[in-house]
Amino acid sequence: MGNNDTSRLGAGPLGRRTVLALAATAFGMALGSAAAQAQTLTVWSGYPEMVPFYQRVGESLKGKYPGLQVKVEAIPLREHEKRLALALPSNSAADVIELANSTAQRYIEAGLIKTAPADAAAFVNNAAYFDPFIQKTAAVGGKVYGVPLFRGQGALFYNTDKFAKAGLAEPPKTLADYTEYAKKLTERNAQGVATVSGWSMRLSGGGAGIAEKFWINLFQNGGNLIEEQADGKWATTYASEAGRKTLRQYIDNVHVHKVVTPEMPADADAFQREQTAMFIRESWVIGDIAQKAPNLKFSTALLPRGTIVAPVFFYSPNEGDKARLAWDFAIAANSPENAVWLLDNVGWLPNRKDVDYSAVVAKKPAFKAFVNYPKDYAFFTLPAIAPVEEVLTRLAARLTKAFGDASLAGNDAGIDAVLKEAAAETDTILRRAGLLASK
Amino acid sequence: MTARGRWSFILAALLPTLAIYAWVRLYPIGDVLYLSLHEWNIIAKVRPFVGLENFVELSTDPLFLEALRNTAIIAFGVLLVTIPLAMVLAALIHARTASRLSGFYETAIFLPHVVSLVPAAMAWKWIFDARLGPLNAILSVFGVQPKAWLFDPVLSILCIVVLCAWQALGFAVLIFLVGIKNLPVSLYEAAKLDGAGPVQSFFYVTVPLLKPITLYVSVVTLVAGFNVYGQAFVLASDAQGAPGNLVRVLVLDMLENAFRNYRVGYAAAEAVVLLVVVLVLTAIQFGALRERGRA
Repeated sequence: MGNNDTSRLGAGPLGRRTVLALAATAFGMALGSAAAQAQTLTVWSGYPEMVPFYQRVGESLKGKYPGLQVKVEAIPLREHEKRLALALPSNSAADVIELANSTAQRYIEAGLIKTAPADAAAFVNNAAYFDPFIQKTAAVGGKVYGVPLFRGQGALFYNTDKFAKAGLAEPPKTLADYTEYAKKLTERNAQGVATVSGWSMRLSGGGAGIAEKFWINLFQNGGNLIEEQADGKWATTYASEAGRKTLRQYIDNVHVHKVVTPEMPADADAFQREQTAMFIRESWVIGDIAQKAPNLKFSTALLPRGTIVAPVFFYSPNEGDKARLAWDFAIAANSPENAVWLLDNVGWLPNRKDVDYSAVVAKKPAFKAFVNYPKDYAFFTLPAIAPVEEVLTRLAARLTKAFGDASLAGNDAGIDAVLKEAAAETDTILRRAGLLASK
Repeated sequence: MTARGRWSFILAALLPTLAIYAWVRLYPIGDVLYLSLHEWNIIAKVRPFVGLENFVELSTDPLFLEALRNTAIIAFGVLLVTIPLAMVLAALIHARTASRLSGFYETAIFLPHVVSLVPAAMAWKWIFDARLGPLNAILSVFGVQPKAWLFDPVLSILCIVVLCAWQALGFAVLIFLVGIKNLPVSLYEAAKLDGAGPVQSFFYVTVPLLKPITLYVSVVTLVAGFNVYGQAFVLASDAQGAPGNLVRVLVLDMLENAFRNYRVGYAAAEAVVLLVVVLVLTAIQFGALRERGRA
């Protein structure tokens, strides 16, 4: 078609202006349609095993957002926390971020994490869906900031083949039993050196995990690392009889009974390779075993007194329309179908209490210790205070040294000194943050 | 063109480069100095001035002191291993210049320097593994009991020194080799006429004449040693309960304080201490080696 033809078209019954207006409208609609189709939601995760779950949640939202693309950027948890420290203050974080409430606290206080919209807050506050504990940890100052994702909850994992071989018919009932069991379960070579640990305890490495695991054992002995006081501030409470008993058990197991050593393979990897007979961990290990060691014979058991519960939430640094999709995603992740899928396929515990998980538990009885517990089973969680990571990390550094110190075996005075020095350091951190309770 | 015009032109030509240099090199150093005198949690908009408080706290912080001690041991350990070994290897390679395998020798020595740090460190981690590592397997042949290389507080530092020296050696050998190739042959001929053997020539001709090169290599090696991080992170840190002793080094401690404990001002004070330590040691090296070189 030549120029003349165009001229004739413009001079036709529609008129040039009308044609241009129609073309502009069509172009605008095409752009709008393309935008709708190319909607992308970025999720930052510290749990790489959650990626398939997020993709599934994204698929379940396709009815409302047909062109939705969920981009999950999952990296190890400690690195995830570092990127948030950099990205949230510079307003460059993802649309949806996944974080423990204890870590999120300082960002919420600084206004870098926004409140959930009314519908998301109503969803979280619905007593039919979530326990008061979860609702309380989702909010700060009465406002809901997070939508529950899952909770980390500890239990004992034990290798049933090794238990049977050692003549142990039941899991240990008290913390003292743990050591007695470990002695029987430890496998040694001809020189008497342990080759399979009887009880894999978190003894080495960096990070706060060592202190968290210590806290779990301390809790069985009736203690806590720090406790909230009536004035809302915190007191360090582990330089105590319970603290001594707990640290003594670690040191005895390493240096006296030699049922575990710091250089032995540890944690879930060791359990899956049958290099340890038992250890305490969260429910995700069940999903991990299904993938990496499907033939492993194992079971789970409740801890003597209770366990840690570390809830992880969805948060968003955005507000208004920009955050709409993020909150829809967070709510969709808690749909009954997705909650069941999460438990069955990933192993983290969903928080929806109105969902029937019995089919999964029947199929995977190891979940029993995580979902069926007596009424007096006690729970604790990491305090939602800004310096909690520093408290745990610095205590972990001291504990690591203590675990490796053979001179502390049978030396209660030495153990007390370690705990007293560590507690003084914890006090200093709390005091600096204005959170130390008066004695 | 007048002298003033020439200077103006030179300045104008250099200005973009100088501006970029100032922005990416000088400004961050200035900002670190500023931050070290303030308290900042990376989130808050306010950064209260705290004077030298961060430095005072550092002086009694056991983790910082441990990191400083470990870093210094690693840096000097790498220096003490790398410089003499590199000099000897360079001399040996130079002595075999005519050999068909000289290219292979140079490549084999230099290769670790260009290998990516993480896979190299992972390979060394396997070598040092207490249960499955080949090092303990070889030692057991000689009746040596297996060692927990990556857990023992002393051995784990030694492992990092070995890894760092293994990586630094290639670069040092290359520089020494260039230096040796440029030494006047007449001096070796004169030494030979005086009855000096290869070993005497090495100690009395090569080593003294290489002092400027030694200065350069030792400064670069020491500075790199004080900035050690990746090696310690991969070789001697953990991933969720994996066995291994955390060898705390300064950069690792800084990262922990800045991004885990949210104490950026405190971490900046550590960076300032590191800067001062490196500057002082470099000045000492310059003083020692340059003066003797002139004599």
